[in-house]
Amino acid sequence: MGTTYRGLRKYLLILLFIAPTLAGILLLSIFPIIYNVYISFTNRNTYHYQVYRLPEADRAAFVEQHPVTGNFVWDVVCPVFPGFCCDPSLQGFHCIQQPFYANYARLFEKLFTLPSLLALLRLVLIMSPLIVVAVAANRVQKRSLVPPATWWWWIVGAGLAVVLWFGPLRGAAALAQLYDTGPFFLVMFKTVLYVIACIPFFFIFGLIFALLLNNPYLRGKPVFRVLLIVPWAVPSYISALIWQFFFRAEQGTINQVLRLMGLPGPSWLLDPNLAFFAVVLVNIWMSYPFFTVIILGALQSIPQEQYEAAEVDGATWLQKLTRITLPLLRPAVMPAIVLSSITTFQMFNTVWLITRGGPLRGAGVPGATEFVMIYAYKQVFQQRNDGMIGAFAVIVFIILFAATLYSLRLTRITKGAYE
Amino acid sequence: MRRPSTLSLIFSYAILVLGVLFSLYPIWFAFLAALRPGGRLFTLNLAGMFFPTEITWENFRIMLFEKPFPIWIKNSLFIAGLTTIACVSLSTSGAFAFSRFRFVGREAGLILFLAVQAFPGVLALVPIALILTRLGLYGSPWGLILAYSTGTLVFCTWNLKGYFDTIPIDLEEAGMIDGCGPIQSFIRIALPLARPALATTALFGFMAGWNEYVMASVLLAGQEPRYTLPIALAQMASDLNVPWGQYAAGALLVSIPVVLLFLWLQKYLESGLTMGGVKG
Repeated sequence: MGTTYRGLRKYLLILLFIAPTLAGILLLSIFPIIYNVYISFTNRNTYHYQVYRLPEADRAAFVEQHPVTGNFVWDVVCPVFPGFCCDPSLQGFHCIQQPFYANYARLFEKLFTLPSLLALLRLVLIMSPLIVVAVAANRVQKRSLVPPATWWWWIVGAGLAVVLWFGPLRGAAALAQLYDTGPFFLVMFKTVLYVIACIPFFFIFGLIFALLLNNPYLRGKPVFRVLLIVPWAVPSYISALIWQFFFRAEQGTINQVLRLMGLPGPSWLLDPNLAFFAVVLVNIWMSYPFFTVIILGALQSIPQEQYEAAEVDGATWLQKLTRITLPLLRPAVMPAIVLSSITTFQMFNTVWLITRGGPLRGAGVPGATEFVMIYAYKQVFQQRNDGMIGAFAVIVFIILFAATLYSLRLTRITKGAYE
Repeated sequence: MRRPSTLSLIFSYAILVLGVLFSLYPIWFAFLAALRPGGRLFTLNLAGMFFPTEITWENFRIMLFEKPFPIWIKNSLFIAGLTTIACVSLSTSGAFAFSRFRFVGREAGLILFLAVQAFPGVLALVPIALILTRLGLYGSPWGLILAYSTGTLVFCTWNLKGYFDTIPIDLEEAGMIDGCGPIQSFIRIALPLARPALATTALFGFMAGWNEYVMASVLLAGQEPRYTLPIALAQMASDLNVPWGQYAAGALLVSIPVVLLFLWLQKYLESGLTMGGVKG
């Protein structure tokens, strides 16, 4: 469409189309990020919470001192970012720290010591067989016209990782050492673990139900399709409270059923591992319908001839699945996986209503299900530790940003339709 | 496709039925609690955990006629409805431009939009409250509408852009030859064709307004008559002596409109949810 307009007129037209979207994003998405970067350099917390305002009487002297920027700083910078205009020795007001990166330094001081870094290196080495397999499998799949089966590489890689974990590298000890380096590693690790525990099940559940619902010989599909989508439609704060009740120790439905079968009911939400399992289960329950819908939509766009041709060649059910269905689902499923990884990483409502981040291990230590957002919420709204959590958020943002960029390269979804 | 054997069909049905039980039992459980007299969420009676043993509509009656439920519904409908309109109208033109025009910074803009999502949203609450205070919208439903619609903007823009990518440009070019300008071709050709994606986007906008809890609880704190359903229900559930039966009845009343909306728009969901990349 670039043929109609050129140069300035073209850009004015584009601006006209984009301006509403851009204005919204700039105001309420980008400004909060910038503001948060600023907070991360200040000492804002319970004891330094007040906002400093320059006394109006000093304006003339200030403008004289800073002839070019004076009025701008006074009218715009100081009201929005008062920490820049305040003397750090003032009590009660939040100001830029000296050095300005003090929050970051405090967050990482224990992580960036030699023993901790060595422990981190051990963990990376344990993971390395899996990384090598991932890279190699990706290469092979891209290079060859008929990609060979690579699933057994993964089993070998995982086996090697397990051997390294229990063997020379002592993964558990390394992990315990890193847990002691403060909340950053603990919270990030738990959150990443949560994402890794959830996403494969979203996909597997979604795939199973989509494949079943795509079977033309099955009757009553519209009914099943409607019923299976319900968990997605129910507001999450409602389903989370219902599930929270299921997991209660005494009255909870799950334990009632277990007791009827003569089994002892554990206290689900008081055991770190079981609580983790509980929030994974609830998240699977909530999210698999989304994947079912995405995969079902993609399945219907796979041409039937491909399967017919494969059947003529005598392909088995499993071969059709791994050689036709899964590769052709990839472009549709990858963006969904990226998006739900981000939303799972930032899950708040559900986990908060079920475990409140607990069970706690002790004062000041994040609980077993205290993921990034819950930790942030507690720090801001309960501890009033804004400066510190600001630094935490900036680092999390940088890491997620990098991960998003990398996954965009994998999915190539920024490409337009006609390139 | 060959006709599958009876055994595999039975197996398929079994898995589907299990899946339906798994996905529906929590809702059914709420329904049972809402029908149970006495306001207790649980029963020690085994049959009562699966079937209604005694039925009373008292809980629904209390929620609908004795609590300010209609006011909460009105607040929520107002906020969710305007969020839907705002988010669809703000994102459509931007998505169209990202899909149709080639310009400097196009790809960077798309990536930036997605990267913004990576910021932990809870921490945006304080700055958002600051902006809304400056705009004089703190504690008002309009502030929430503004916050919700910009919050869903990224998803909406990406989803619509993905769908516009699948519409052949030839149609618009044909329109241009017949004398359509770019704005006309957007409104009269591309928009009607994008109906499934518009419906899906609208659904997500509505859900964003109807279901959101954290932001509403911060931005409307203490403004009792302006409460939306999520805050009102959460407040009910945090009371020391929770009337669980009424809570369950309220929860069902809140969920039903969304579930119906989902079912109504279901035929659009499969084709309209493109997430920017799926080309049919």
